[in-house]
Amino acid sequence: MKYILMMNTMKAGQGVPAWAKKDLQAHIAFMLGLNKELHEQGELVSAEGLSFPDQAKLVRAGKDGLPTTDGVFPESKEFLAGFWIIDVESPGRAYEIAAKVSGAPGPGGAPLNMPIEVRPIMSGPPAEML
Amino acid sequence: MKYILLMSGTKAGVEGYHAWSKQDIDAHMAVLHRINKELADSGEFVATQGLADPTETRIVRGEKNGLPVTDGIFPESKEFLLGYWIVDVANAERAYAIAGRISAAPGPGGSPTNMPIEVRRFAIREPQSH
Repeated sequence: MKYILMMNTMKAGQGVPAWAKKDLQAHIAFMLGLNKELHEQGELVSAEGLSFPDQAKLVRAGKDGLPTTDGVFPESKEFLAGFWIIDVESPGRAYEIAAKVSGAPGPGGAPLNMPIEVRPIMSGPPAEML
Repeated sequence: MKYILLMSGTKAGVEGYHAWSKQDIDAHMAVLHRINKELADSGEFVATQGLADPTETRIVRGEKNGLPVTDGIFPESKEFLLGYWIVDVANAERAYAIAGRISAAPGPGGSPTNMPIEVRRFAIREPQSH
């Protein structure tokens, strides 16, 4: 079963967090260690970090089919900071991995306890929609 | 440069989609399949995925002992990721053009859905020593 774990922790306008370099390094080392562990267990499909919200654009098709872009988001909008796609035996295992991600260290090494959104991935569009 | 195109919507929007006629759904999916094929042919396609229904979503945090605690209660207004495309393109404008075409995919009665598509660049990875 494939799941996506989404870290929606950034808000509109945010850039690199103002943490001490040591804290950022510990955070990144934790994430790299976790990715390595998931890879070795054959559970990691992919993991990516996204650029900061100040570079995000919202695109719609104009009447002529050409893209119109907008980069103004409500202050309260949550942005995807990064995601993991995992292939695991059960939802319980997906939640276990999400809890590990949630506990990644923040300033001073304390766990961040970030909320991680966990969603099953469809193997394909439902048959009746093809 | 890698970009992710994120298609999001509310629970009400997903319920609305389930009420489309089969013909409208077929026409919508046909356009998305054609876009995917074109991206594969041009070498810009990396991945695409639809996510399962928002009712299967859970939010996970790690407790002090690292064990997962889950929650599935969301405000009605919350936007859920419906699906995404990852593309590898020459520049941001090309990513916006692709997002514009996805936004213009037909909805009920064949008129464009004009869904807003969030376009985000992948963070650049630092070279890793291991």
